Amino acid sequence: MASSLLHPPAHLSPSVALQLSQQAPYLLRTTPSAISPYSLSSLWSAAESPELWTTYENLMLSCLRTGDEQSAHLCLERLTERFGADNERLLALRGLFQEAIANDNDALKKVLKEYENILIKDPANMPVSKRRISLLRSMNRTTEAITALNDFLDASPTDAEAWSELSDLYVSSGMFPQAIFALEEVLLVTPNAWNIHARLGEVLYMAASSETGSDKHLAESMRRFCRSIELCDDYLRGYYGLKITTTKLLTTLSQSQVSRQSKSDTALPLPSVQSVERLNELATAKLSEIVRRSTSNDAGWQGYEKPEIIAAQELLNRDAAPITRSNAQGSGFISDMDFTWKVEIFTFLTIFLTPTWT
Amino acid sequence: MAQVPVQTIHRDPQLFYWILIPITVVMILTGVLRHYATVLMATAPKKQELPAIKEQRSLLRGVNLRANANVISAPSFQARKDYLVASYESGAFLKEPDKKGQAAPNPMTDPAAMEGMMGMMKGNMAMIVPQTLIMGWINAFFSGFVIIRLPFPLTIKFKSMLQAGVATKDMDPQWMSSISWYVLCIFGLQSVFNYLLGSDNAASQMQQQMGQMGPGAGAQMFGPGVDPDKQFQAEIENLNVLAHHYTLEGVEDRLLQTVVV
Repeated sequence: MASSLLHPPAHLSPSVALQLSQQAPYLLRTTPSAISPYSLSSLWSAAESPELWTTYENLMLSCLRTGDEQSAHLCLERLTERFGADNERLLALRGLFQEAIANDNDALKKVLKEYENILIKDPANMPVSKRRISLLRSMNRTTEAITALNDFLDASPTDAEAWSELSDLYVSSGMFPQAIFALEEVLLVTPNAWNIHARLGEVLYMAASSETGSDKHLAESMRRFCRSIELCDDYLRGYYGLKITTTKLLTTLSQSQVSRQSKSDTALPLPSVQSVERLNELATAKLSEIVRRSTSNDAGWQGYEKPEIIAAQELLNRDAAPITRSNAQGSGFISDMDFTWKVEIFTFLTIFLTPTWT
Repeated sequence: MAQVPVQTIHRDPQLFYWILIPITVVMILTGVLRHYATVLMATAPKKQELPAIKEQRSLLRGVNLRANANVISAPSFQARKDYLVASYESGAFLKEPDKKGQAAPNPMTDPAAMEGMMGMMKGNMAMIVPQTLIMGWINAFFSGFVIIRLPFPLTIKFKSMLQAGVATKDMDPQWMSSISWYVLCIFGLQSVFNYLLGSDNAASQMQQQMGQMGPGAGAQMFGPGVDPDKQFQAEIENLNVLAHHYTLEGVEDRLLQTVVV
């Protein structure tokens, strides 16, 4: 339990977050409230550890998610006592707290104004500028958020978190080429992140279905999913995407045999029909294995998200039913996958802060 | 084989209580004091301005692109390379773009660099001053005492180490002088400090000396006196000679070979 408090709580399911925040009063009573670095008692009491403060921060975020504002405030107070009210992260955390207790739009606007005042004084305050961007986004001012995020990335172009947030903003505005660019930047920072590979595959797929005749995007999307699986053997989203893309590629490849030769040389050639077929079979087999094992609670097959399992099951069912579908399939995929992705993004948004104290 | 007669020296047992223990206690206390003095004197690391952050991270972006170029497609790589090379050349990422081409400022006159040197000075002072005082104190009061006999035999080579300050030629190396005990304390109290003060304490001077000898490579990369424009130019060359191989090329065949359901 304590170990889950040491990780950023973005990925916690609501039930776990609730469980954590219910233990908050107990935790707050048992953990030391302040550790003075200059007292004699520090000679024999336990040494101060960064984990303690990470615990406080994550506990505060969990409490805010479940509406336990008193405990959250207590956590915030203790952190302030230790690091001072001017600490960059604490400014952002305090803002987060005020956002959470804000009742209406006016209160949110006040918080936004506060962020802007802080940023005028200290433009290099990264946590606060991130909070400002995600507040803009949650106030549905997407264009402003994109502009602000671009300014942020101009100053700090190696921030993978900000790039992935930007790509998500672009996807929500339907600007797929920009979203792809942003995700590629994420990959340049974290080249082996299989979830980002799969996410890039998803965005490429959306781009392929939004415009006509873009086999290139589709093939690249399929390859991204392949890479994602290569990096993580049992990645459900990877297999899901692989199945969708190969199914679609099979229909387009048979139609566009003629135009294959005319592609330019810079991009990769389209994959052969045989390998796409085999990949499709592989994805189907693996997906059904994952669904079967996960629903029967086999050891070692736990940990998949419920909605994802359901979506995979639904996809397999769709395949089993002998109905020929046309374009509806593509858009169905986007909404399915988008739903589960939205869940992740929502939790991601509530934090948008890196979990280490520096 | 003749047995070497065991040397016996009759010592006042009070020596043990009035020299050995005081030296040890004083050494521990100075270590603790030094730790707190360093903590108190430490200045918070200076916050970087936004242009400086931009300069460093833009360079890092180039490094990242070079290291991980293979995860993105050739056209994407080419576009990024062109953009970065053009910006590096024009100096758009520099902290002060109009100062491009000028020689790097002398690190002695740069206030930011002075700050760092002052920090180092303080660290050194916290080490040297108590060291000198205690050494002087030991020399004044305790020099020339033999205080303990080690319970195991030693070769003659240890004589200079263990009997500093006692100029007796024929004494067995097992006997130990007070100054040697002091030196032993300097090197041997690390684990005591770890226990008392936590593992990242500033009490041990050994660690400080190590730190001075090999400063981290990361600090050196953006340290004072390094001309960022030169680093950008070097990065341009690195990017230009890079051969690009797309990872996704043939990934479907690789996957089909490896994954078995």
